[in-house]
Amino acid sequence: MALLGRAALFLAFGLVVYAALVGGYAAWRGRRRLLESARNALVAALVATVVASAVLLGALAAKDFTFAYVADHVSRELPTGYTLAAFWSGQEGSLLLWLLVLLAMGVAAVAFNPRLTRQVLPWTVPVLAAVASFFALLLVFVASPFVTQAAPADGLGLNPSLQNPYMLVHPPLLYLGYVGLTVPFAFAMAALASRRTDERWIVVTRRWTLAAWTFLGISILLGAKWAYEEVGWGGWYAWDPVENAALMPWLVATAYLHSVMVQEKKDMLRVWNVILVALAFALSLFGTFLTRSGILNSIHSFTQSSIGPWFLGFITVVVTASIVLILVRLPLLRSRTRLESLVSREAAFLYNNLFLVAFALTVLWGVLYPILSEAVRGVAVTVGAPYYDFFATVFGLPIVLLMGLGPLVAWRRASLRALGTSVLWPAGVALCVGVILLALGAGSSPAGLVGYSFAAFVLAAIALEFTRGTRARKALGSESWMGAFSSLVGRNRRRYGGYVVHAAIVLLLVGAVGIGAYGTTREAKLAPGDSLAVGGYSLTYAGSGQRRGPNAQELRARVLVSRDGEALGMLRPGKNRYFAEDQVSNEVAIRSDLLRGEDLFVIADQFNGDGSVFLKVFVNPLVNLIWLAGFVFLVGAAVAMWPDAREQRRLARRFAEGHAYVPGYTRA
Amino acid sequence: MARRRSPARLVIALSIAAVLAVFLLYTSIAGGSTPSLQPSQLAGHDGTVNLAGRVVGEPTGSARGDGLRFTVQDLKGTATVPVLYRGSVPDLFRTGRDVYMRGALQNGVFVAEPDSLVTKCPSKYSSK
Repeated sequence: MALLGRAALFLAFGLVVYAALVGGYAAWRGRRRLLESARNALVAALVATVVASAVLLGALAAKDFTFAYVADHVSRELPTGYTLAAFWSGQEGSLLLWLLVLLAMGVAAVAFNPRLTRQVLPWTVPVLAAVASFFALLLVFVASPFVTQAAPADGLGLNPSLQNPYMLVHPPLLYLGYVGLTVPFAFAMAALASRRTDERWIVVTRRWTLAAWTFLGISILLGAKWAYEEVGWGGWYAWDPVENAALMPWLVATAYLHSVMVQEKKDMLRVWNVILVALAFALSLFGTFLTRSGILNSIHSFTQSSIGPWFLGFITVVVTASIVLILVRLPLLRSRTRLESLVSREAAFLYNNLFLVAFALTVLWGVLYPILSEAVRGVAVTVGAPYYDFFATVFGLPIVLLMGLGPLVAWRRASLRALGTSVLWPAGVALCVGVILLALGAGSSPAGLVGYSFAAFVLAAIALEFTRGTRARKALGSESWMGAFSSLVGRNRRRYGGYVVHAAIVLLLVGAVGIGAYGTTREAKLAPGDSLAVGGYSLTYAGSGQRRGPNAQELRARVLVSRDGEALGMLRPGKNRYFAEDQVSNEVAIRSDLLRGEDLFVIADQFNGDGSVFLKVFVNPLVNLIWLAGFVFLVGAAVAMWPDAREQRRLARRFAEGHAYVPGYTRA
Repeated sequence: MARRRSPARLVIALSIAAVLAVFLLYTSIAGGSTPSLQPSQLAGHDGTVNLAGRVVGEPTGSARGDGLRFTVQDLKGTATVPVLYRGSVPDLFRTGRDVYMRGALQNGVFVAEPDSLVTKCPSKYSSK
């Protein structure tokens, strides 16, 4: 079977190289039939990659230890779910997943826009195939998932910290996000190469970008949830390079989603948008490199991994090619319109872009600096949380403020007076909230107080926008309030979906400030019967016990929890000793109070020989709003992505001149 | 169309200047980063540093009592330094593992800050 997998990957490699070279030639010389052939090769490569993936999945399911990959990531006792998830827990498997998702998305994007990719942007197929060639090359020659060996008695097993349900979904979603950014990149580069620098590539890829960005955002939150429950240090985001790897492309994609609106409406920022799309794609490659090359694993030695140099080389090629292409096409990218006023919607978008990109670049610097410092000066350094926290505040607060201000500013040219009038309400609400919170004692953290006032400002501005819009709709017709509201959102899905996403970001902010600025923690050594009071809770240690789980010995402390004399049940924090992996893993216990949004978070840090236990307890207020934000974010993104027949008709009319372009969607 | 100078350019120039200013301000106040050293490089560093290396020999004592004592060696070398540590001990901590902690050298002993100990994943795992 390994032979079949290797053959399928080799075939896929040949096909994508063919699609890249022949497609490139066809696009260059305008050969329709050859381009068709390149497209078919891309589809065939997808089929071959599906076969290869099926082989690997089958080997995992059968726990066939003659596959080195299977033996390295799975053990006999590992439950089936995690066994299949081992597909993406190692380097080779995740590269295969990258290729699979890339080809599936590429083929779908081409299939949804048949005429466009055939006639207007013929370079799309070769660009997609070129990116796929790199991953296929790695899979065939450098990091093959189909290396065979004499089967050992048992596999090495899966890293215990990856044995968590969130790890079943986080990596594939992350890859959907990373890889999804390839589609707008391919269309952008194709637009440049094909000299079609109008906004059509943006319009066509809008939903792809939105989808990739949504996947990326959700997977960051899922990763945070995993870290919160499994790594268990009491926090949810630690500015770890692996986390930053996903945050950076998300920030740049966020900037891009805003700036494309300026190009669509005002035909400005053409160069900027191409740069953002290339940057987002390069950062997604860099993210894969960070998490997969092992560069972070080594404390001092530069990467020992086989794929590291390849990735660096490919990123260099992508960045250089993008820069050259943009420079060559610069005359075509010149905008015909200019920014008319520093107080306007487009200016607000510009500011938001600058802050988002600045933030992404400072995070990038924080990740790169230790690596560069060691490579250049030979001195290793670490850049810690204070660096990131500082810049998250410096750039984050203006972004939050703009989130409230932006929607209130008119396009083209707004008067400061009009802006002042519309800001009055939200600012008043923010002030009231600030004063009330101060009275309630939130002044213990000035930064938290500022964060909450800003959050109130944005929420009030969003509410104001919704009320205004609904009232205007109501005035137009004799609809009911509900009808007016739904027709408002239905007619402006992007706009109101966007506002919902803004609300999600505010929720995230409220939760993050809650846990960061108003959390309490205590630790103590408790003998059986001893109690510990923290943040209104009382915890009593009732003893410990152990039992044998499916693949680990589970040691648990029994902790009785009560608040204000009312018993709230028992928590069982403890440790798991995994057999095959020969590792101990902390299993934290969390009691979520959904009504208050608060978590009681208990770590059994050390079990002592005398029966006592060392407990570390956190009370994390409002932390559940962070997870709630994920759901709201999904709703907003779905609203913004929902197909809109009216918009499609408008676009069809707009692009009716020249090559006819009829979008794939029609109302049933 | 009269080609006025675009305010966008001004905005971009000003914001880049502002970012650089903030950056300089930050690095001058907070120092930006902490040096990361191996045992052989510790000599001559008085302040707080990050120590990286491999645990050798058997750890003794309790991290929750009067402190966990162990020895850290260069990753590629023989220089060692004794370490005193209090606080949470990571799951993966044991002899032979690569570890990382913050602290300062005091009378020949590296006294680590509480809860600063981090282990690096053993090589048989990819990072994530």
